Amino acid sequence: MKNLIIILFVTVFSYTGLYAQETNDTDQTEITDKKSGKDEYSIQVDGLGCPFCAYGLEKKFKDFKGIKNVNIEMETGMFTFTYPADKALSVEVVENKVEEAGYTAVNTTIVRSDGSVEKNTAVVSLLAEDAEGAVISKAIQVWGNCGMCEARIEKTSKEIEGVISADWDKNTKILMLEYDSEQTDSSVIEAAIAKSGHDTENAKADESNYNNLPACCLYERKQE
Amino acid sequence: MKNTIYSFSLLIFLFIVACDEQKVSKWQEVEKVELAEKIAPIGLVFQNDRLWLADGDNNRLVEVNENSGEIIQSLGNFERPMHIASFNNKLFIPEYGNDKITILENTSRDSLEVGLALDAPAGIHISESGDIAIADFYNHQILLKKNDKWISVGKKGKADGEFHYPTDVQIINNKLFVADAYNNQVQVFDLKGNHLQTIGKETGLNAATGIYVDDHSLYVTDFENDRVLIFDLEGKLKQIISENLDKPTDLIIHKNQLYVINYKGKFINKYKLQ
Repeated sequence: MKNLIIILFVTVFSYTGLYAQETNDTDQTEITDKKSGKDEYSIQVDGLGCPFCAYGLEKKFKDFKGIKNVNIEMETGMFTFTYPADKALSVEVVENKVEEAGYTAVNTTIVRSDGSVEKNTAVVSLLAEDAEGAVISKAIQVWGNCGMCEARIEKTSKEIEGVISADWDKNTKILMLEYDSEQTDSSVIEAAIAKSGHDTENAKADESNYNNLPACCLYERKQE
Repeated sequence: MKNTIYSFSLLIFLFIVACDEQKVSKWQEVEKVELAEKIAPIGLVFQNDRLWLADGDNNRLVEVNENSGEIIQSLGNFERPMHIASFNNKLFIPEYGNDKITILENTSRDSLEVGLALDAPAGIHISESGDIAIADFYNHQILLKKNDKWISVGKKGKADGEFHYPTDVQIINNKLFVADAYNNQVQVFDLKGNHLQTIGKETGLNAATGIYVDDHSLYVTDFENDRVLIFDLEGKLKQIISENLDKPTDLIIHKNQLYVINYKGKFINKYKLQ
């Protein structure tokens, strides 16, 4: 009887110990999985016309230690990569990095390792019929060079509240604007464009903002 | 009688002059070859009579049939191959993405030992005597190897001897020619790195991405303007090709025919002197 009790005790004790170990292992595995989990980033980038600069975007992101599977689809402008979940980057950080490289991030989607999804909202321009004041159409000269400039100038314009449409022609250097006069005016729009690095007919970019433009965007500046 | 002789002589003289003027040849397009399978060509080279393209978007080298544009063979696992070169039956591939020059001989790969660190190599050329020049894009310099010694030529800037993202190089007749892409010009140096000449200012070049030089002329791709500019070696503009190009990135003359590759259009233009 005594022996039976001992055997029973040892058996229960061993089982309990094994169970605890398994649970611990599972927890560790889960923790390890989560730690080794990757977030997946997809950014729709506008203005990818020049391969020398586009490949540079890939290279700049390789500065993030641990980044993997970096890829740019030139045809679609889709820029993707994976990054360790424990070093999660926010949508804002990613888009700022893209813009530092001279590109324009249009849409960003992050699929976290736990399955959750984060997105930015694309720039949405005001509709003409929703304008509160008179709709003004204006042509403004804006200096730039290429498709990347076009994407940057137009997105910067459309981010201004009250802008209905912005269309820049790289050959004529003319930006065709439509905006709600109650909400904004052309000087505000021109100031924002200058801040992005592009001289306009009435606003000049700071030297540092101009110099931060990527190579193919460095338009010839008017001599004063 | 005397007046008749003079008039006749004058007529003959004018006729000879006119004939001489008619002898000035221009490059005329003879064929446009569409490339197969979304090849986005950045660089090209002939190895013997085989045409190789660096397909940067797809991280591969492709040998293509120059008449049909079809792929004969495809070699992958490159990281953004750029302006390639051929020497002694080997292909030299600057890999922009991983900062190295890969040497390809048949199927075997090796790395070129470079004396200085590269940052996005965009072009390479090896001269007949074995001198090597590399366009080091993000470092805004050219690495030049002569007599087994590497030197660095240039730095970032807009002055003579300075570069803004150089993308292509060629060594010929003891001179180094550099496609100084985003200064929108070509610069010429001796093989000690001394600046000799700047070509292309005032021509409206916008991204001088690719060059080819022979004994008489300098050929330059004007990427953003969809043009090819042809200069004599003094720097005088001789011809502008501005039709049927779509983001030209590189060019070469092979067997008296000019080949221009188009990155966006994904085709090759061929020209002959006529």
